[in-house]
Amino acid sequence: MSMISKFKEAIIGLKAGCVTLHYPAQPRPVAENFRGRPIFDAQKCIGCAGCANNCPAREILVLDVCQEIRILKYLGRRCTYCGRCADVCPEKAITMSHEFETATNKIGDLHQRLDLFMSTCQRCGRCFKESSPLEQLKLKGYRFDDLDHERWIFRSRAYLEAEPVVDDIKIELD
Amino acid sequence: MLKNLCQKMFGRSLWVYHANSGGCNGCDIEVLNVLTPYYDVERFGIKLVGSPRHADVMLCQGPALRATARALRYAYEAMPAPKLVFAIGGCACGGGIWHDTYAVLGPVETVIPVNFYIPGCPPRPEAIIYGVAVAVGLVDKKVAPVEFKQLPLPIPRYHPADLTGRDEMVVYEKAEKI
Amino acid sequence: MIAGGLANVAMVLLVAPLCEGVLRKVTARLQSRRGPPLSQPYFDLLKLLGKEDIESGESPALQRFVARLSLAAALTLACLVPMGFPAPMNGAGDVILLIYLLTLCGISTLLGGLAAGSTYSLLGIGREMMTMIALEPLFAIALLIGAIHARSFRLDAVLNGSVYAVPGIPWSGLILLVIMVLSFQAFVQRMPFDISGAETEIMEGPLVEYSGPKLALFKYAQMARLVIHSGLFVALFAPWGSGLAFPLGWLLFWAKVLALVLLVTAVAATHARYRIDQAIRYFAGLLAAAFAALALAGYGY
Repeated sequence: MSMISKFKEAIIGLKAGCVTLHYPAQPRPVAENFRGRPIFDAQKCIGCAGCANNCPAREILVLDVCQEIRILKYLGRRCTYCGRCADVCPEKAITMSHEFETATNKIGDLHQRLDLFMSTCQRCGRCFKESSPLEQLKLKGYRFDDLDHERWIFRSRAYLEAEPVVDDIKIELD
Repeated sequence: MLKNLCQKMFGRSLWVYHANSGGCNGCDIEVLNVLTPYYDVERFGIKLVGSPRHADVMLCQGPALRATARALRYAYEAMPAPKLVFAIGGCACGGGIWHDTYAVLGPVETVIPVNFYIPGCPPRPEAIIYGVAVAVGLVDKKVAPVEFKQLPLPIPRYHPADLTGRDEMVVYEKAEKI
Repeated sequence: MIAGGLANVAMVLLVAPLCEGVLRKVTARLQSRRGPPLSQPYFDLLKLLGKEDIESGESPALQRFVARLSLAAALTLACLVPMGFPAPMNGAGDVILLIYLLTLCGISTLLGGLAAGSTYSLLGIGREMMTMIALEPLFAIALLIGAIHARSFRLDAVLNGSVYAVPGIPWSGLILLVIMVLSFQAFVQRMPFDISGAETEIMEGPLVEYSGPKLALFKYAQMARLVIHSGLFVALFAPWGSGLAFPLGWLLFWAKVLALVLLVTAVAATHARYRIDQAIRYFAGLLAAAFAALALAGYGY
């Protein structure tokens, strides 16, 4: 049994002193490019729903109440802080902040909800006509996500049945 | 009186059981980081134990899969009261990126009741320590829901059929409010 | 005499969690981190007393009995150990009773695992049985050598340095001192020999089905065994200065126990756990040396 190596081990541990961070007592800065919680700036948002289309976890839900009002809701539960929404936003309305202290006892605390007014022409009352039908489709509104049950609807309302889209699976516990 | 003393001591010495029900092990590694000397969580009295019967807190991470839902439920019921459940990571809080795949039943709260959520993918060790400190009562939580309305509803809506011409001006006759 | 016994028991009950706290704090410092506060084991025990008691396992009645038996055996042992003043109950028992109580402490762990009946606990007690067979004879041989030299089984004759009481160099005493220092970690169930009971990281061990107050009793018994075994070691092998007047002798005893606890901590923090076959081979070598020392003692060396 090599006793000398154990002594050396003990001395190495003692020489390092006490390396523990005093974390909750002292704040801990993060690196420059750290991606924390995304913050949505409602003043700059134009309601294009590019972030909702690109979120890999389907965390951003969009509901078109009528032609002029679009509700955008960010649920923070499954967000992986990948930053795709911030990359895609044409107006740079989403910033990945440096916040990581997001623990909570109610998951509803992470929601951010924006009610947006999609501008209509003040003379004729219609939205601006876009050049291609694809762009026109975006303006008329085609997203009808279920905000109350926080579910992303995979089909358009034209074909929506009354039952929910995905069945709930029952767990057998005996 | 002894009961009161015992209940006050609950926050000072939490024994933790770590249950990974199907995650990618990213949050596992962050939880193990929290137990290393750099972030040392044992100074709060937290100890890792190997049996749910000895534990007060279950750290769940990974979504509830079809295969592991039953085991997770048994482990929860094996813990003696009073008990807490922490859901760590995006998968445990809301199902993760794989919330709509064939093997995932949903977040951990479909199987067991959850007391505290620590979102992140994976959450930093500081975020996990912050979550534990919020649970024990050392600090206050920092997030709250945000709601923004660009215009107060109801907004006036203008329809072309309601326009009438009068002299050289265009006047809106009827305003339909939504 | 009864008051002396109660004083010993109270002293052990107060000091045992503090020694465990010192052990955890020094382990943390050796690993370069801030450890738990010194009074952490008191908080742990109080919290465990406040938890719900889930009765599971094969026979809950036996579980209830064994939880109390383990702490009771350890505290009865405390009445027989001289802690700075002569042992309070030394008229009521002799060396044979001491050996019996030491073995009873180990057997209570075995009974605890058997009463739980789960696979993990049966595995744990199998290993504990193998360790006990190799280990308990060592302490028994140490006490017997003391009894042979002192020519009596009375506790006050044996427990004051009688292992060294031969004219010339006490060979058997010195051999036993080295053997006991090398195997002391196993008596108090710390690394590198905590194969059975505290093996909560690898397999849950015999305590897997206990929760709440019963677990508090088992943990208290483990902490008390650390203090009591250290006290016995000090009384048997390092009794110098125990004849002093009341405050000095008493403080010197507890200082020696603390030094032994620090030695245990230093070894426990730097070693990894042995496998059961490695441990048995280690103890077999020590047992052979101990029997040789017993033979030497018989011849008067």
